[in-house]
Amino acid sequence: MTNLLPDEELMSQVRSGVGEMLGVLFDRYQMPLFNFFYKLTGSRSASEDLVQEVFFRILKYRQSYRPGTSFRGWMYQIARNARVDAFRRQRPEVGLEPEMEPAIVPSDSAQQKQETQMLYRALLQMPEEKKEVLILSRFQGLKYEEIAQLLGCEVNTVKTRVHRALQELRELFHQPENARPATGKSLEGTFGS
Amino acid sequence: MNCEQIAELLPDYLQESLKPEQRDLVDGHLQSCEQCREEIALWQKLALLPEEQPGPALRTRFKAMLDAYQEGRWEHRQLAKERKNWFPGFVRGGWLHIPAAGLAWAVLMLVIGFIAGRSLNPPNPADGQMAKLQSELADTRRLVTISLLQQQSASERLQAIAQATAWSMSEQHADPKVLAALMHTLRSDNSVDVRLAAVDALGRYHNQPEVRKGLVDALQTQQSPLVQVALIDLMVDLKETSVVEQLKKFEQDPNVNPTVRQRAQWGVRQLT
Repeated sequence: MTNLLPDEELMSQVRSGVGEMLGVLFDRYQMPLFNFFYKLTGSRSASEDLVQEVFFRILKYRQSYRPGTSFRGWMYQIARNARVDAFRRQRPEVGLEPEMEPAIVPSDSAQQKQETQMLYRALLQMPEEKKEVLILSRFQGLKYEEIAQLLGCEVNTVKTRVHRALQELRELFHQPENARPATGKSLEGTFGS
Repeated sequence: MNCEQIAELLPDYLQESLKPEQRDLVDGHLQSCEQCREEIALWQKLALLPEEQPGPALRTRFKAMLDAYQEGRWEHRQLAKERKNWFPGFVRGGWLHIPAAGLAWAVLMLVIGFIAGRSLNPPNPADGQMAKLQSELADTRRLVTISLLQQQSASERLQAIAQATAWSMSEQHADPKVLAALMHTLRSDNSVDVRLAAVDALGRYHNQPEVRKGLVDALQTQQSPLVQVALIDLMVDLKETSVVEQLKKFEQDPNVNPTVRQRAQWGVRQLT
């Protein structure tokens, strides 16, 4: 049976000890969260670990959820923190080796397939800060206002970042493959402080 | 309009939140500007990136975690039920709260008075009544403690813990029901002071495996920095090396209070 309660109501119940409701939230968000992490990291196993970590933290810190506030915003906050922590723990000496390969969609034409591949590569090359804002707005369906709240900045800053991210994506998309910098190098700047 | 002016409108254009006349402006610009057109095209192409499915192991792991949590809750409810069965009449009557504690104290005082009176005149050794009375006294004390642990006021709960602590000085074996009630207090009392007192009281019974396990588990679940620090200190005193992993987690978790992180670091040094 589908549970139609809004996220906030479910989370309030989890907060007061009804753990089963976390299962409903898991069903709703495991895919979006997995894709969020997957597009950020390019690694399936790391993304699965991170999704698990997010739900663990939701349970662990359930008391810090303030009823009535957006669950999604709170969850993405946890997701970002989990990502930062994981990144700190296993800071790679060399660039991350992305295992991300575009899924094969049978109806794709050869040209489309190639484009998708190029787009994936370009996305993975982007600095974390820009990539994140692009993923949140394009794939996670967050409004600029929600992203601003999440990142703790002005809405206009988010808009500027989205536009700059798109400009950079375009540049990377056209760059010949061998001229690209090592993946993951740019992650440091975002979370170093 | 040039690219710079369009740049301000572009993000809202992407989310389709522009007013019609602004949208027309952007559309007009796009016809003549290849660069901006390409950016829009890329934004649209991003939608072609397929949604990935996580592996089935993710759900299994999540379920295992949730089950573990539910099991904890279940124990918690079991304990509450057990406690109710202890004095079903009081609880079901709904008049337990403050009056019961008072009544229990009164009974306790009566029994003490009676025993004191008896001990002034040495009892007949053949009289089994004395032993019976002593056992009744122990039962009453237990009842008082457990009922006090349920009181609304934190100071009454603290009083109960102080009582339990005092017994630990004079008795070798703690009453398992009282210990279970204390462990429950440590897990779920909403007052930090009361939980701290519970850590202290339980620490005296560290040679009991269930208590020791309860204290080790509490280190993972307690959220209050004060309680966490008290538990770390206790673990170091008890030379409980099994918590080193947990302490290392504290050290690395930026969400953990800095004082706790420091104490955890110290704890790891002491235990390794």
